[in-house]
Amino acid sequence: MTAVIEAHGLTKHFGRIHALDGLDLVVEQGEVHGYLGPNGAGKSTTIRILLGLARASGGAVSVFGADPWRQASALHSRISTIPGDVALWPNLSGGETIDLLVKLRGGDVRSKAYADARARLIEEFQFDPRKRARSYSKGNRQKVALIAAFAHPADLYVFDEPTSGLDPLMEAVFTRQVGLAAERGGTVLLSSHILSEVEKLCTRISILRGGKVVESGTMAELRHLTRTSFSFERDGLTDAQLAGIPGAHDVALAEGRVTFTVDSDQVAAALPALGALGVAGLQVAPPSLEELFLRHYGDALQPVEA
Amino acid sequence: MSVFRQMLSLRLRRDRWQLIVWGVVHFLLAYMVASAVHTTYGTALERANTIKVMMVTPAILVFRGTPQGGTAGDMMALLGLTFIALIVILQLTFLVVRNTRAEEERGQTETLASTAAGRLTPTFAVIALGAIASAIAAAALALGSLAGGLPAGGAWMFGFAIGSAGLAYAGIALFLAQLLPSGRSVNGWAATLGVLAYVVRGIGDAAGTPHPATLTLTPHWISWLSPIGWAQATRPWADGSTAWPLLPGVATFAVFTAAALVVQDRRDVGAGVFAERKSRATASASLGSPFGLALRLERGVLIGWMAGVLAGAVLLGSLSSVMIDQLTTAGAGVSNALDEIGGGGGGTMLQAFVNIGALFSGLLASAICVQGGMRLRQEEAASGADGVLSSAVSRTRWMLSFVAVPALGAAVALVLGGLLAGAVAGDRGGGFATWFWATVWELPAVLVFLGIVTLVFAVLPRATAGVGWAVFGLGAVFGLFGPLFGLPEWLRDLAPFAHTPAVALPDASFAGGWAMAALAVALVAAGVLLFRRRDTVPGE
Repeated sequence: MTAVIEAHGLTKHFGRIHALDGLDLVVEQGEVHGYLGPNGAGKSTTIRILLGLARASGGAVSVFGADPWRQASALHSRISTIPGDVALWPNLSGGETIDLLVKLRGGDVRSKAYADARARLIEEFQFDPRKRARSYSKGNRQKVALIAAFAHPADLYVFDEPTSGLDPLMEAVFTRQVGLAAERGGTVLLSSHILSEVEKLCTRISILRGGKVVESGTMAELRHLTRTSFSFERDGLTDAQLAGIPGAHDVALAEGRVTFTVDSDQVAAALPALGALGVAGLQVAPPSLEELFLRHYGDALQPVEA
Repeated sequence: MSVFRQMLSLRLRRDRWQLIVWGVVHFLLAYMVASAVHTTYGTALERANTIKVMMVTPAILVFRGTPQGGTAGDMMALLGLTFIALIVILQLTFLVVRNTRAEEERGQTETLASTAAGRLTPTFAVIALGAIASAIAAAALALGSLAGGLPAGGAWMFGFAIGSAGLAYAGIALFLAQLLPSGRSVNGWAATLGVLAYVVRGIGDAAGTPHPATLTLTPHWISWLSPIGWAQATRPWADGSTAWPLLPGVATFAVFTAAALVVQDRRDVGAGVFAERKSRATASASLGSPFGLALRLERGVLIGWMAGVLAGAVLLGSLSSVMIDQLTTAGAGVSNALDEIGGGGGGTMLQAFVNIGALFSGLLASAICVQGGMRLRQEEAASGADGVLSSAVSRTRWMLSFVAVPALGAAVALVLGGLLAGAVAGDRGGGFATWFWATVWELPAVLVFLGIVTLVFAVLPRATAGVGWAVFGLGAVFGLFGPLFGLPEWLRDLAPFAHTPAVALPDASFAGGWAMAALAVALVAAGVLLFRRRDTVPGE
């Protein structure tokens, strides 16, 4: 495997604000890499550095082995991007903008492959290319960027919250397109805070907090770090009986149901005890990315104690 | 009512620095012109001689105003009123558009209209803001005239006459903002109407009936079509001064404001009255490079200013031969006065006129450069620059593309303007070659403006628009009034136009022109090098 994006100890300061504070990130060839974090964690700053729009204050960063600040324009013919806030030229039509963006990336808009891909994407995204960008809604502006990004194949796709403003049907179209891009051998860096989207699409995930990557790995690897949640009906079980369940954390009662969590690698040990108690209405939920996410930002978002 | 107060204080807070700076500018303008009148035309005899010459040279009246009598105040009104009124009109126009259609385009109006403010209250606040800004301009001009040593009654009349012209255009801009879909198009149309008011009264003054005995002139009736013509009709410091011509300005404001409110009450927020037509589905071959993009984005601006340069060139060229006719038929007294002013006979006067005409084209062409250079910042602020720089386009190529378009635009405007002015003027009006080369040699100074804006963009991106218009305004004031103010030599030398070769004069030196060209290139090169070293800064 070769790394497409490699950042080590990356820092970026705006005056006294440390937007990035020693960030390490590796994205391998062919990965769909989820880049997760709440607003202000440094996702967009990272992406601006990867695109050579901003210069790192310190640390090392490379894209396809080259310096994104010095060799920006050479790298960009291999990269397709969707910015977080899609800005369009108000008096250009959507179709004109799509063609312009592809041409600027070095694409040949007269080729049949491009014409076919463009027509198919416009159809799939149900997009009217003849309206001026001024009159597009947020979702439609997003579609301009999406169509331009997918119509001309790239080696690396950098998406900054690409589905904001899209309805669920269009999100499904986006998911399919990312899948096709990955099949063609493209590498994808997908910054998002929509966890279901990342869970569905990504092979690897990095979680960002306060300008640092605090967790990085495949979904399976990260699940080891999480807990599985259990719940069942109390049906007169005593507190002593409940306390006997091995590995149970955060035992609580709500509306006659007992809830608790178990470290994901201890689930097997807890099951016989539950069987012995003869619990009714048992529900077991696998760890979600959401739980993982909340655990990392838990102190920012205090859970209500039961 | 309290919502209205909140809306108004929001606007005042947002525009407070602009209002303060404009107030200071108006005060200084009035003060400097008034002082200059005292120093340059200190005695009644000097004033009478100058006014007599002007009355028989309509070409000069076009750029100045209506002769209203022989006092220092009358001289002030003749030299400064129309130009200052044009500045106030443009100020009020941009102020209204910034607070209405430009906000609507960005969606801010929708945010406000969804609150208790509703759809119309924010507009009432803008109407009040326009009235306040006009009043500030009126007071600043009056105080500046007073400080310059002119009688009080006339000073206040002068201020309010110009203020009411500004107010009229606040109403017109508010109405246009209802009809047109983008802030840029409203700015363009309203500014064009403002310049039209200046030109219409210029024709009225040029075609008016002079009364040499009283040193007054009755403008042609066409002046009544122009709000600046109304302002002049008050004749602030003259014996027959009268306040009623303030009324048409206020009435225009009232009528257009009411019409704007009627339209706004009937249309959707965000929509224009003229619907958007469907556009192309694919990009043309020319729209595929940063240069093509810059050309496309600047197209409207280029066409507008270029039309201005060409119209001005035709007007000036044709006036120059008219002027010669009038000089040759004028009496001996006038010829003597000309000798005093021109310092060497009618021929020199004509050559000086060629230089002024070329400067006028140069100013319009530098507006292309200032507005075109500011596009760099607009693109960066709206993230369009990030979009292009995220594709396979280097910073140097992007920046040079957006610099090249206004530079070429200004060059084409000046070459065409020179050709037209020369052709129209003919041999009798100074000669083709004189007009052509005088106009073309404005280019180096014009490009310095572009260089300054480019460098400011690279170093202080957020200040680009402010510095750009300030530099342009100073260039215009220095260019048109510099000789009149009697400023020290070193200060005048700071203005790029001071170094333009005076081609029309016998012993023109071209060194200044080459120096300005080199300076422009150096400024742009420095701008590009510095921009390559900084992060892009999107956002307002």
